[in-house]
Amino acid sequence: MFERFTKDARAVVFGAVDHAERSRAAMVDEEHLLLALLDREAGRAAFALDALGLAEQRGSMERSLAEAHRRGGLSRADAEALSGLGIDLTEIVSRVEEVHGVGALESGREDGKGDGKKKVRGGRWAGHRPFAPGAKQLLAQSLRVALAHRHRHIGDEHLLLALTARPGVAAEVLADHGVTYMAVERVLWGGEGQAKAG
Amino acid sequence: MTEATDLAARAGDRDPRIGLRAVAALRRLLEQLEAVQVRSARNQGWSWQEIAAELGVSRQAVHKKYGRQ
Repeated sequence: MFERFTKDARAVVFGAVDHAERSRAAMVDEEHLLLALLDREAGRAAFALDALGLAEQRGSMERSLAEAHRRGGLSRADAEALSGLGIDLTEIVSRVEEVHGVGALESGREDGKGDGKKKVRGGRWAGHRPFAPGAKQLLAQSLRVALAHRHRHIGDEHLLLALTARPGVAAEVLADHGVTYMAVERVLWGGEGQAKAG
Repeated sequence: MTEATDLAARAGDRDPRIGLRAVAALRRLLEQLEAVQVRSARNQGWSWQEIAAELGVSRQAVHKKYGRQ
């Protein structure tokens, strides 16, 4: 599948690995792919994000991602579902942080300080991070998005569309900033899915 | 809460999607909480055996999941 990726899409995947390394995450997840998409200055995803006014909102998106990260990678929809059971996620996060320090519940973190060379789970070196199941599913979904549009290659715009289509923190943060599947399709190809931008 | 929204809320409770989503969220939260507690116990010098006993799982299970981190 990776051979179908355009140069832009590959750059996003490598950028996501960089983000995971910098944040010392044990695995590359969807959040890292989103951050890598936001980094892009060229390509169709960058064009779509610009057209949707994301340029000035990058900081706000990063803050939303960091907040979700702090509550264990749970989305607001998750928090609402828990609240339906009488579980107050905010309260749990603050109690855990009282005892174990700020950021204790952060998802996917490696233990200890680490020097970027220590071993992580599965015996892999920290420099070669595996993709989390969600991130793998996202890559597979980008192929389905490309096929649905009868595109032969998987571009960064298909990665962005796949991100908006999957439940979770990344889609939620994107939607909060006006980036939905429909909105991205509209700015890229107009209402009927015609290849306007391509 | 008006009668209509109350009814809607109660009808919603029977929607399996809401219940399933809550379970999935709870499972994710549980995983995070477990990681925090295991890490904390290890930092305090607990053995895998002691941690496993408290969690009610085998030593191998907890070591496979959190060992080498």
